[in-house]
Amino acid sequence: MKRSVYINTNGRLSRKDNTLYLESETYGKKPIPVNNTQEIFLFGEIDLNTRLINFLGQNNITLHVFNYYGYYSGSFYPREHLPSGFLLVKQVEKYKDEYERLKIAKEIINGATHNILKNVKYYSNRKEGLDEYVERIENERKNVKDAKTISELMGVEGRIRNIYYSAFEIIIDGKFEFKNRTMNPPDNPINALISFGNSMMYSTVLTEIYNTQLNPTISYLHEPGERRFSLSLDISEIFKPIIVDRIIFSLVNQKMIREEHFDQELGMCYLNEKGRVIFQREFDEKLATIIKHPKLNRSVSYRRLVRLECYKLIKHILDEEEYEALKMWW
Amino acid sequence: MYVLIVYDVEEKRVAKVNKFLKTYLNWVQNSVFEGELTEAQLNRIVLWFKGHLDLECDSVLIYTASSEKWLSKRVIGVEKNSTDNIL
Repeated sequence: MKRSVYINTNGRLSRKDNTLYLESETYGKKPIPVNNTQEIFLFGEIDLNTRLINFLGQNNITLHVFNYYGYYSGSFYPREHLPSGFLLVKQVEKYKDEYERLKIAKEIINGATHNILKNVKYYSNRKEGLDEYVERIENERKNVKDAKTISELMGVEGRIRNIYYSAFEIIIDGKFEFKNRTMNPPDNPINALISFGNSMMYSTVLTEIYNTQLNPTISYLHEPGERRFSLSLDISEIFKPIIVDRIIFSLVNQKMIREEHFDQELGMCYLNEKGRVIFQREFDEKLATIIKHPKLNRSVSYRRLVRLECYKLIKHILDEEEYEALKMWW
Repeated sequence: MYVLIVYDVEEKRVAKVNKFLKTYLNWVQNSVFEGELTEAQLNRIVLWFKGHLDLECDSVLIYTASSEKWLSKRVIGVEKNSTDNIL
């Protein structure tokens, strides 16, 4: 399987000898095999030129750029290599029809909250005091199917997420203080981890969407806004609990991420370079984790599950098979 | 599958082989490459070798393992180039 490359150092990325080269102080001149690269994450200060951009375009490699604080800035999304006007029309039709849109959105939330619940249940077997949260989420989850509008559905999702986040402190044994979710900017280490992880998830999903015929700007749960790929926000919802949150719990519980991996200043908190590398390694490994898929009857990686989610959505859009969001079975 | 390619070719072709393999695998040492490949990618590499090498005198060895897990690797001395993808 093609790999993702994460670049945290400062330097220059260029095309040379028909492959990619990273030149930096720490690594010298390091060749990166193009044919084995699917996406590149840039966290350092990297110089690049149009020759490289053209080359990435030719090889269908997506490039994700993150700013100094590890915030997602944007992606170089090469020319669509699998465009399908037919699917696009269908995709829009499903959005325009309010009933159909709500159906897809509900299924996304249904999957996402199922995975959230699964996380809390997993920890309630080993930690005291989580049963109450399981019950509250289960109760709130009943409202998903009765939601009449998207905003009502978002409300249900928001409440479930609040309950879920308030369970975080128990799950991580109070190793970090975590009261509520804040963004822009995150104010404590857990918020910083969630923000960072979500943006990694978001860009990974985008790369997978790129490799299907779906159009990333037309979404169902989130409002398709301008200047953003909102479909990847939709699909990320399902995977955030499975991938990002699980990584956070294990990194904190195993004390791999500690106070010293964060830069804190004036109510802002960000992962520093060391912390980012730890997270990326875990993230990369997680996506490569292989599990047995009961329906396909073969082993697939977590990354593959993201792609399969896109395919399922395509099937639904083409009215071939009803969409059923991924619900953690393991 | 995880692949290890070692080559010994006539001097004038060394750079050419090196450049080609760099687009698929991680360059670990002079004339040694390793990395994860698909079956199709490996076929493409083999075909390229057949077309560009003098099969009378050049020699290329390809070792494969079903996964990196089944390959143990020890480094003694300097690790010239790591295969890490987190840089």
